[in-house]
Amino acid sequence: MSSVLFTRVVGIAIVLSVTATAIVTAAPADVAMIKSRQEKLRDMGSALKQIDDELKRRSPDWENVIQPNVQILHDRSPFLMKWFPKGSGPEAGAKTYALPAIWQKGDDFAKHARTMVAESQKLEQVFGKKDSGEMRAQVVALGKTCKGCHDSYRSPDYEKDAEQ
Amino acid sequence: MRVPGVLGGDQKAATMRVLRVWDFPTRIMHWLLVGAIGFCWYTGETGDLEYHHYSGYVALWVVLMRVWWGFVGSSTAKFANFVRGPQTVFKYVRTLHLRNTPATLGHNALGAISVLALLAAVAGVGVTGLFAVDMDVLYSGPLSMYVDFKEGRWFARWHSTLFDVLLIVIALHLLAVSFYYAYKRQNLVASMITGKRKAPEVSGSELEVAPVWRLLVGAAIVSGIIYVIDTGFFY
Repeated sequence: MSSVLFTRVVGIAIVLSVTATAIVTAAPADVAMIKSRQEKLRDMGSALKQIDDELKRRSPDWENVIQPNVQILHDRSPFLMKWFPKGSGPEAGAKTYALPAIWQKGDDFAKHARTMVAESQKLEQVFGKKDSGEMRAQVVALGKTCKGCHDSYRSPDYEKDAEQ
Repeated sequence: MRVPGVLGGDQKAATMRVLRVWDFPTRIMHWLLVGAIGFCWYTGETGDLEYHHYSGYVALWVVLMRVWWGFVGSSTAKFANFVRGPQTVFKYVRTLHLRNTPATLGHNALGAISVLALLAAVAGVGVTGLFAVDMDVLYSGPLSMYVDFKEGRWFARWHSTLFDVLLIVIALHLLAVSFYYAYKRQNLVASMITGKRKAPEVSGSELEVAPVWRLLVGAAIVSGIIYVIDTGFFY
């Protein structure tokens, strides 16, 4: 084998192995986590919307519409922190608008997550009163906690993505 | 009021006088729309959406009123008096390079397209905004309860995309106004403020102002429509 050919073969082998390593290090678990949390967060947004929409009606359906959606928000909020493990940021290789700041400012992000848990628990408590005005105020309070986190920890490019 | 003036070309020799071109409602609608779009743009860009929908309502109100005025309003506002077919538009375009063409009383054939494009773009942005869902459910459009979360996000993205289209149409509009000012020596902005422009004595038609009651009827109907939209039909 000539030295030129040998160099080419070694070069191609290096390129292939680096590519393979990159594919392997894009951990499937992290990619799955990104997709899973996007769906869960979208469901939570949808749940909040359905509560908000129902409260605009003269006679809201508390049991069949509002209650199950309150449950979704209440039950899922405590898991929010678990949906953002280290490695599930942009480096994971899947499309995500989660900013690296989530992991760089972990304490502040965790504070936002705790606020969300508290507000969704309060939503469940307010639900018990069946008071549209109070419930609407709590929906706004919860929406503000969503916004607080989105403003700081989600890339603004999200708004331009047609698939989101 | 008669004033001597110079427009150039055939009009140079003619005695100039001040002609009324735009009635008060048309001018107010124009500048109200400028303010509303500016405020919408600012609040949309900064994410300060608490008052965004109010400026959106003003923009929609103006569009609906302008359409109403386009049918029953003063002569230069009526669509029938300025919207022309492609042949007339092309014929007009072929004279664009001439500096001394006489100014049209009201919109010219090309300006008509600008008016229709602006109205359509603002209407498109406005209507998609009515159904747009805010990710955090704080500032969703008044009709967003008739679409689900995903559909509402689709409307939100189109709301944003169509606004970009509107900005392009506005940019073309401003370019055209600048062209008329710099090349053809016609100050269209001043006319839209004062409602008047200089024209040769020999000019034929004059502005026929529509009665105020027509404006009031339109304002009542359009305000009613905006009010009902704001309630989301839950009243």
